[in-house]
Amino acid sequence: MFRDKGDPLCRKVRGMLSEYIDNSLDSENKSLVERHLQACEACSKELESLRMTVQLLHRVSEVPAPRSFTVTVPQPRRETALGPSSLRWLRPATAIVAVALVVLLMGDFLHAFENNAGVDRGPGNMTLSAGQLAPSSAPAEKQTMVTIPGVMGQMALATAKAVGYKDYTVVSSSDVSQPETQPIASVPGNEEITGAGMMAQGEAGVGWPLRQTEIGLGAAVFVLLALIIFARRQRTKGVGAG
Amino acid sequence: MDEQELISRSKDGDVEAFNLLVEQYQRLVYNLALRMLGNAEAAEDASQDTFLSAYKAMGKFRGGSFKSWVLRIAANSCHDKQRVARRYRVVSLDTLLLETDDFPQANNTESPEDYALRRELGRFLNEGLAHLPEDQRLVVILSDVQGLSYEEVAQVTGSSLGTVKSRLNRGRTRLRDFLLQREELLPSKFRLNK
Repeated sequence: MFRDKGDPLCRKVRGMLSEYIDNSLDSENKSLVERHLQACEACSKELESLRMTVQLLHRVSEVPAPRSFTVTVPQPRRETALGPSSLRWLRPATAIVAVALVVLLMGDFLHAFENNAGVDRGPGNMTLSAGQLAPSSAPAEKQTMVTIPGVMGQMALATAKAVGYKDYTVVSSSDVSQPETQPIASVPGNEEITGAGMMAQGEAGVGWPLRQTEIGLGAAVFVLLALIIFARRQRTKGVGAG
Repeated sequence: MDEQELISRSKDGDVEAFNLLVEQYQRLVYNLALRMLGNAEAAEDASQDTFLSAYKAMGKFRGGSFKSWVLRIAANSCHDKQRVARRYRVVSLDTLLLETDDFPQANNTESPEDYALRRELGRFLNEGLAHLPEDQRLVVILSDVQGLSYEEVAQVTGSSLGTVKSRLNRGRTRLRDFLLQREELLPSKFRLNK
């Protein structure tokens, strides 16, 4: 190896050797380097070893590309309502519908839409009175009474039916509001009679149309979310390798 | 169709025109990636990334040398690959470089002995390049292996001409020192101190 011996001229010349090899020095510096090389053996050796290194690098041969790196793009599809651009309206539409649903549900839970408070809670306000693990003739103190308002009440009722649970009774909210609750005998199928009665009561106010609106908005949110997912998948199908 | 027309059509989204540019430059890009990364598989990935990025960014190409522009994207792809490899320490670059066997027999006139010597030399040079810092390695490869001018190297690296000269000088000196330290392993034909 060729160590710099600290001579400032050697240092300066060695800093220019690379450019000297590439023949890119101006005439003034070129003659300076050449004069110094004639006098300095260490710098001459440095030049030769660097020149040899560059020559070795020039011998590195290029290799052919192992495969083609061409790119492909998917054939342009006819833009449909569910194309990527539909995300522009799908997102705000979903947000609006979701907000409307939340407002409606909150109003429903707070009974803000009742035109006759305490009377009309619609068919969904269910009170399930269930004698858990007890025979239908069980005393009243072993019964559990759960009040589930609105759509949730209907869902609970449907679930109870679906799982085959029959040991319950559905009563209207006006019955529940009475101070002394009578023990209710569990009669399978009784809820249909009571429910029909409530339906008649609910139709007089805003209850049943409100439920329908809530269910409709909920379904709309689900559909819109599904459309957004579909549109996003369409968008991610982009440019690919050939 | 000349290059300017191909570039113009590619900017308008003509993928066939762009692929003609790919065919023109893929060898250059692949070889840069191979020398930078020292691994054929990683070089293939980096080359593919380069052309995908170039196609997506064609709208941003503001003229000048397309070769320098695409090599700059390639250099960035290699940098990203090296950063990921360093982070996860999958395999060391030295190991990768020793695996590289990219010195095909040049022509029919080359004797088997000469081919073996050249292959041995190639292995040494790859190992030496791997020992250079990334910025110096890039400049040495672009200038001495791929034959770019100082101005082109400056465009590819986004550096000044002075920086390019300085990195090239330091890179060559460092590589020379590496080869000198292992001179007894070099074929006598290629020894620096004869």
